[in-house]
Amino acid sequence: MTEKTVGGHLAVLRGMREQALLGGGAKRIEQQHARGKLTARERLSLLLDAGSFQEFGALATHNVSEFGLEKQRFLGDGIVAGFGKINGRRVAVFAQDFTVLGGSFSEVQSNKICRIQDLALEAGIPCIGLNDSGGARIQEGVRSLAAYGEVFVRNVMASGVIPQISVILGPCAGGAVYSPALTDFVIMCRGSSMFLTGPDVIKAVTGEDVTAQTLGGPEVHTHRSGVAHLAVDGEGPALDMVKRLMGYLPQNNNEDPPQVTPYDPTDRADEALNTLIPEDENQPYDMRDAITRIFDRDSFLEIHPDFAPNAVVGFVRLDGYSVGIVGNQPAYMSGALNIDASDKISRFIRICDTYNVPVVTFVDCPGFLPGTDQEYGGVIRHGAKIIYAYCEATVPKISIVTRKAMGGAYVAMSSKQMRTDLAFAWPTAQIAVMGAEAAAKVLYREEVKNAADPGVKERELISHYREKFFNPYRAADVGQIDEVIEPRETRPRLVRALEVLRTKVQQNPAKKHGLVPT
Amino acid sequence: MDNLGWGLQMTVLGMGIVFGLLALLWGLLTIVLRLDQSPQAPEPADAAADDIPALAPAADAAGDTKAWAMPKVQGMDADLVAAILVAVLTHEGVRRHEAAPAMRSYWPGSLLYASRWVATGRSRQTRVWQRRSK
Repeated sequence: MTEKTVGGHLAVLRGMREQALLGGGAKRIEQQHARGKLTARERLSLLLDAGSFQEFGALATHNVSEFGLEKQRFLGDGIVAGFGKINGRRVAVFAQDFTVLGGSFSEVQSNKICRIQDLALEAGIPCIGLNDSGGARIQEGVRSLAAYGEVFVRNVMASGVIPQISVILGPCAGGAVYSPALTDFVIMCRGSSMFLTGPDVIKAVTGEDVTAQTLGGPEVHTHRSGVAHLAVDGEGPALDMVKRLMGYLPQNNNEDPPQVTPYDPTDRADEALNTLIPEDENQPYDMRDAITRIFDRDSFLEIHPDFAPNAVVGFVRLDGYSVGIVGNQPAYMSGALNIDASDKISRFIRICDTYNVPVVTFVDCPGFLPGTDQEYGGVIRHGAKIIYAYCEATVPKISIVTRKAMGGAYVAMSSKQMRTDLAFAWPTAQIAVMGAEAAAKVLYREEVKNAADPGVKERELISHYREKFFNPYRAADVGQIDEVIEPRETRPRLVRALEVLRTKVQQNPAKKHGLVPT
Repeated sequence: MDNLGWGLQMTVLGMGIVFGLLALLWGLLTIVLRLDQSPQAPEPADAAADDIPALAPAADAAGDTKAWAMPKVQGMDADLVAAILVAVLTHEGVRRHEAAPAMRSYWPGSLLYASRWVATGRSRQTRVWQRRSK
């Protein structure tokens, strides 16, 4: 009799588990597949190591009995949450299940996400969210709004402690967008969308006709708004990107990122670097060429590749160690800094500093982009973010001036005085307060004015100024540059420098928190 | 003397059986080894290199598919070997990108340098407040 009862209990549990695996049911799973999308469980099986997932809250359901919801109870309530492993590393994950009430965000969803966030923070392990939800569950009223708040506060508490990665694999609308926005990295899959107010509301309020994709598709958020860091074709590649990103990050802010067994010689000197900078100082070149030639081969993962292309940021490996790269991009807008580039750079420096990733900066910047658009848009406070981020960062910082380093941009881009540990320059570097033409006009105004032929005199003085000041040796003379190096020597020099700086420890004054210019 | 003769007979018989069985086993192993070996004897490296110029006329006669024979590497088509090589290298690249266990020098979650200096330093960095000393 007892055996039967126990067997019966087990049968009930197994039945419920099977039901939970089906989410919103076989029909809705088919519909999800017909849309070219995977279910939450399929996504988790792609993301996590085989057999590593252990789920929590699989049997939870909502207790709302209004608007007919009492007839729509699904085990798990539209979210699959738990722990697993990615390449043997422990992670906390949750995946919204679109087959259950459109993945709508409910109180139960929030409880499950919060539970995972709390445990991830206590265990010091990354938290990864796979978002695919139509928005708040309206039938739950203010309870679903309160549920957002619970998640947001945990996003903020975990920020800078454990890596948080959001993958947008479907719609993500309304208040739900703020949770990914509060995480460290947002990866969008083609076809997904993020917006605060949907096309219908926009049409009703402003009369503007817009589609979900043109309003908040991956193109918008990776090119224009900068909300998303990477856009990827397909769900599989999006989940692979999470794994790749994880390869450069530690488990938490007290630990180090994994080191890959070195596979590229540390003393490799690429001769092509010596001819990378064009003879004509106004001719562009691609900073990515320098980065890929200097660091471990095929290790560059560019972050925000399409947003503010006048700056380059990303992760590389050097002798197998994870390194953060910040650089100007002379191939776009001559590498001038503007509002978007400032936001992109400052955010990336702070990410590197948080997760103990050294920062190497490549400088070729003629200055900040002039114009009323930029000034009205607050380029001063945005540019100040770069300065703030460099000054605040305590990780090893190395800068390399490849060509132009002018005025305020020179100071902002990891100059020696901003707690940069080592400042290198290539012989092609031009470190000066301003361009030769402008400087000559100010310095030699009277001389030019009184000359027999002012035009000839001005050209002569510009040439003189350029020869005298447009080089790295004046800066090296006064200690603003530690060493002028041949471009081909850069890799071995960086390897040795970072080897020394690996145990660098620096402490900022005790404070509640700084006031980052925003 | 009878006992001695009987003893010798038994010794010869015993040793004969043992050596006979060993010889049988040796013969069996030789047969298995021969059966297991590829029918073609391995080509010396120099001979394989000599075959390379021979591929040129084969390529010239590419129109006639019967005239061209796919070079073999350890009994497998060269194309297959190339495909396997590309797959292995690609897989290795993907695993390296992800810092997968086989590619890692250090297990994440440990301080790389096992340095007390770094550990205490990071602890100080992340302390949000400090008690004022008296």
